[in-house]
Amino acid sequence: MTNSIPEIRDSELMFVIGSNTSEAHPIIAMEMKRARQKGAKLIVADPRKIWMAEHADLHLQLKPGTDVWLLQAMAHVIVNENLVDREFIEQHTDGFEAVVEAVQAYTPEEAEQVTGVPAADIRTAARQYATTEKAGIYYTLGITEHTHGTDNVYCLANLVLMTGHLGKRSAGMNPLRGQNNVQGANDAGATPIFYPGYQPVTDEAARLKFEQAWGVPLSPDNGMNLNVMMKELAKGNVKGLYVMGEDIVISEPNVSQVEMGLNQCEFLVCQEIFHNETTRFADVVFPASCFAEKDGVFTNSDRRVQRVRKAVDPPGNARADWRILCDLARVAGYPMPNYADPGEIYQEMADLTPKVAGISHERLEQNIRGLQWPCTGPDDPGTPTMHEGGPAIGRAPFQVVQYRPSAELPDDEFPLVLSTGRTLYHYNAATQTRRDPGPVAKQDQNFIEVNRRDAKRLGMSHEEHVRVVSRRGEIIAQVWVSPRVRPGCTWMPMHFAESRANLLTNDAGDNVTGTGEYKVCAVRLEKLPTSHGAAYAPSELGHPVLNDRQR
Amino acid sequence: MKNEFTIWINGQECVAHEGETVVDVARRVEVDIPTLCHDTRLEPAGACRVCLVEVEGERRMQPGCAWKVRPGMKVTTESDRISKHRSVLYSLYASDHRVDDESLPVETGNGNQLRQLCAETDLIPLEPVAADRVGRPDDVNPYIAFDPELCILCARCTRYCDEVEAVNAITLAFRGSETTISTAGERGLLDTTCELCGGCIDTCPTGALIEKKAPVERPTDSEKIRSTCNFCGVGCQLDLHVSDDRVVKVTSPPPGETMNDGNLCVKGRFAYDFIHHPDRLTEPLIRGEDGVLHTASWEEALQAAAEGLNRVRAKHGADALGFVSSSRCTGEENYLMQKLSRAAFGTNNIHQCAAT
Repeated sequence: MTNSIPEIRDSELMFVIGSNTSEAHPIIAMEMKRARQKGAKLIVADPRKIWMAEHADLHLQLKPGTDVWLLQAMAHVIVNENLVDREFIEQHTDGFEAVVEAVQAYTPEEAEQVTGVPAADIRTAARQYATTEKAGIYYTLGITEHTHGTDNVYCLANLVLMTGHLGKRSAGMNPLRGQNNVQGANDAGATPIFYPGYQPVTDEAARLKFEQAWGVPLSPDNGMNLNVMMKELAKGNVKGLYVMGEDIVISEPNVSQVEMGLNQCEFLVCQEIFHNETTRFADVVFPASCFAEKDGVFTNSDRRVQRVRKAVDPPGNARADWRILCDLARVAGYPMPNYADPGEIYQEMADLTPKVAGISHERLEQNIRGLQWPCTGPDDPGTPTMHEGGPAIGRAPFQVVQYRPSAELPDDEFPLVLSTGRTLYHYNAATQTRRDPGPVAKQDQNFIEVNRRDAKRLGMSHEEHVRVVSRRGEIIAQVWVSPRVRPGCTWMPMHFAESRANLLTNDAGDNVTGTGEYKVCAVRLEKLPTSHGAAYAPSELGHPVLNDRQR
Repeated sequence: MKNEFTIWINGQECVAHEGETVVDVARRVEVDIPTLCHDTRLEPAGACRVCLVEVEGERRMQPGCAWKVRPGMKVTTESDRISKHRSVLYSLYASDHRVDDESLPVETGNGNQLRQLCAETDLIPLEPVAADRVGRPDDVNPYIAFDPELCILCARCTRYCDEVEAVNAITLAFRGSETTISTAGERGLLDTTCELCGGCIDTCPTGALIEKKAPVERPTDSEKIRSTCNFCGVGCQLDLHVSDDRVVKVTSPPPGETMNDGNLCVKGRFAYDFIHHPDRLTEPLIRGEDGVLHTASWEEALQAAAEGLNRVRAKHGADALGFVSSSRCTGEENYLMQKLSRAAFGTNNIHQCAAT
């Protein structure tokens, strides 16, 4: 996020796109609700009529995968009605003229044909966004989990730059991070192309710095991103895998390919707190610690580094993950230093990483609200709002984008679009939340939201179990006849191990980031044999009972 | 800052701003005005009357939580008149409240601010009132319980549900002495729009709303450890209540203190059973010749893992290895994982689910 979460309540307009905020980021949604009560406008672009959309001033219910059309049409309106911030563009950006040219083809009327959003609504959204001073964009995986995810982000960035909505309180570009420490994992260099703090592995000066610090020669080549890694695993080119804290055969797209890869993989190490679908393939399993059992930091969506503190001991012989990684490195022959505690590890990273050089565990003890990077020195109070006084990189480049359809579109054989995501009550592979009674009471099994019209046409009733089939796999799920989805569209959560949405999803990746296309694939629904009556009992479908309070 | 001006509280000169209330200014200058229905996250309600103060020029006492400051305003927060009012008011509340052997409102483990106020005051003995308020004893939701005998109808819970969580699941229901906190059709919370955030429990000043998971007999000697929630990317701060090496309850720091402003969602507040779940992995495991995972020592497991990964590297090269780090783990652990991948095994094939 270029802004901070506490700035949201002072917004005058929030443009929320591809974010089911009230379910995926409930506390950020509370800030949005507060802004709304104080009179801020809320514009929501989402294929589903989610809670945020129902409470929005304007809901742009676009067809899945047509974001580029919608956003380019908004840019078209802003450019052609001269609602741009000319001064900001001249002072802080490059390449605007090319974008002006590129968006000419994207008229609101044609956008209506492609996206299903009325042209008048596109105009209203564009005008309100451009002419409101404190206007912030908020987006999540609905923008990025496409083969054109990077294009979607570019389109949003173009809107931000042409209207000068950057470097101001409550006005900026705000991706809301999915996991507790996605931001921190990237900041720490757990990416194939960057050392900590986004220093490229292909940059010789950076490489030399890390070689000197770590005392070994380092590879000068970019590594594989996760999407590519999983594909190479399936092809047999990745022979050994170390997986810490991710259930990849639930979470990755097109998981039957991942399973095939794991079957032929020569060696798999898992570091986990529970057995999961991936540990079934493991050669070695390390029992690890959850957040309550270790010290460290998480970095949240607004770049806020905050402390995690050990409250209880890990169970049995389980160990803190940082200890396991150090122990393994030493046994494998690398002299990992004897860190006394995670504070020393953080210090080593901060010393090599200008962006967080001013952050330390000691300072975090004094800063109860955390420290937001960039924070470059011990006296730097951190950066709640980024890009104040102009883009941090100097001049921000506009990006010319052209619409590309999603990789797999519905056809006669697979006539429905499936999007997947999270719900409020469960979290990812749900190894944690399915062990608590509340989430289980609310959602005990997988479901697929189907529009009333489609359900009627297919002769399927609410709560009936059906087979959901894509080119890559099939699962059984319960039909939720729901007004939330558009006709022709369906939606399913990804939480359920016995009914994995990711057996269906498409692993076609974005051409820059490799992110899989979780939000658009083609499926069909098939009725199940009726010998069972309309509904299967959850036990017949192998639903696990994981909650010990229910045992 | 908005229009700044001076007011006097108990003769003390105070800086005040347009739009602030008497309680806002008093809290800033550390003058104590008791409140029950007041929560900084909510619009003032002036419902409990505990915060009545004298304002020069006003014939009646006024609720400090709702009374907006004006330039030159003179406020008195302690006087015989106010003391008498509080004494009568607390006594009335106590007469309509379950009390303990000391005739003080009972403590349910969630903090009862009325009990504290009563303990500091000479209560007037009054006949107990047999209120007709009812709860929903059949509500099977696993997290939130309501005890109507401890409710003072300040409506913090219903206002929180409307104004902050904005799902409007609970409401003041019925009239007169039957007034209570209920839902549409008196349904259980699982059958309403309730999202089980537990904000109603957090804001309740008397412990009428309590956690089913952390019930009355919860040890009172639990220690609070400040940490960061491990679910989504908002980064809410939590206080983990620890007793006997177990997390027995999770609460938010008070409103205003951290970025989440006292708020948590269902997962952050309640979904902590996994921490001490019997399914937790407690021993290292190595897959044996029989194809089954067997318990092993740490030395054996580390040796096996290091050998296995080194073997792949020796046979196929470092780039035949892949390292999947975790955005659920700490920053330090992600740093170590990429260092392990790059420095110990020589490959940049390190990523995590940020791309997915």
